[in-house]
Amino acid sequence: MKIRGTHTLGARRDAVFAAICDPDALLAVIPGCRDIEQVGDAEYRGRISLRLPGVVGTYRTVVRLVDSDPPARGDLEGELEGSLGSIRGRATFRLTDAGEGTRIDYEGEAVIGGPLARFDSRFVEGLAGSLIDQGLRNMDSRLPGGGTVALESQDDPTTREIRA
Amino acid sequence: MTVRSYYLPRSLPEALGLLAARGPELLVLAGGTVAMPLINEGISLPDEVMGLRMAGLDRIDREGDVLRIGATTTLTQLLNQDAIPVLREAARNTASWSVRNMATVGGNLFTPPPGGDVAVALLALDADVVLAGPAGRRIVPMAEFYTGFMTNQVGEDELLVELRVPVRDDGTAYLKLGRKHASTPSVVTVAVRVAWHEQRVSEARVALGAVGPHPVRAAGAERLLVGSGLEPDVIEAAAASAARESRPFTDGIATDWYRRRMAGLFVRRALERLAPGARGEGR
Repeated sequence: MKIRGTHTLGARRDAVFAAICDPDALLAVIPGCRDIEQVGDAEYRGRISLRLPGVVGTYRTVVRLVDSDPPARGDLEGELEGSLGSIRGRATFRLTDAGEGTRIDYEGEAVIGGPLARFDSRFVEGLAGSLIDQGLRNMDSRLPGGGTVALESQDDPTTREIRA
Repeated sequence: MTVRSYYLPRSLPEALGLLAARGPELLVLAGGTVAMPLINEGISLPDEVMGLRMAGLDRIDREGDVLRIGATTTLTQLLNQDAIPVLREAARNTASWSVRNMATVGGNLFTPPPGGDVAVALLALDADVVLAGPAGRRIVPMAEFYTGFMTNQVGEDELLVELRVPVRDDGTAYLKLGRKHASTPSVVTVAVRVAWHEQRVSEARVALGAVGPHPVRAAGAERLLVGSGLEPDVIEAAAASAARESRPFTDGIATDWYRRRMAGLFVRRALERLAPGARGEGR
């Protein structure tokens, strides 16, 4: 599964970058995140629970920031594992100034294993996009200046493209 | 099959208590028509399941101008009520007899597109969704219920308990296009409602299913209709707008291109049923 998208946040770049590296902020913005802790310089472990139609589960997750150039760019790799299978992937995000706010461009690739892989790919991809959008909306409303840019921008502050 | 425990609460407080105690890994089952196929195929592997069948949420009550529909009311029950004809039409167009005997109105809101045919009608009717949790009840309008594909406003300690649907004498029409006449996934589902004042449309709702991440309203089309008399050129423009506003997807049923075309065509047909001189359903 490949995923890429763009989102505009109301806060400045350094605040956005700091939030991406702050376990407390991540706990508040990641949908279904139960706990998260920093276990190394740039490694985070946590648990995410998702209650979906017909499917529930808790996933152990590990995310590493393998390379970064604050507050402009970061490369992440990570995995999510639970009774329904696993998702392993890499992603890159870039932050650029957008007026008073920040534009975030992200791109990633993931491999899905286990029972999860038997889902219709449209469902997994649609859900991944939906959760990313929700997480970015949560981050926007939590940071200073949140919501303002999205309201002022064009019809759709979010664009996303997912390909299997 | 891995289910270790199956809970069958006899009341809403008991159900909410179980949800609070067992946490987000408790699978909530209403009619089971979405979850059971996934469980039987080994795709969904819940340890614990709570069935809402006996929780007393299966009543339809008329209270003044509001129809209160319990979340576990079956689609067969919905088919047998006569207060809101368009809901009967939506139920009739959903699945088959055997599935409608199990599938619930509340569960329909969680059915990912191209499912959720009843939810499309509820959206056009400006229904309110009642959620119950430890802090009490809160009401979310259908138009704000969905937050994305398979995501919604229901908190992890909350249950959807009721739909409240205004009973009005507005004009309504419901059309569904499938590949077969019955028991078929939707290519597009359309529910429209118009209120009239002095031969002009005073309020319009155009709700679409299977052409977006969840049932959506075509707000641009609705704006075009208000103030009109549903003249043919207005209907044409609203239908074109609805097609533009839809965000269709491709699956085994239809391509995104075809879904968008059919969204426009079926919005036009639905509105034509409500135009003066036509023999509409709800007028």
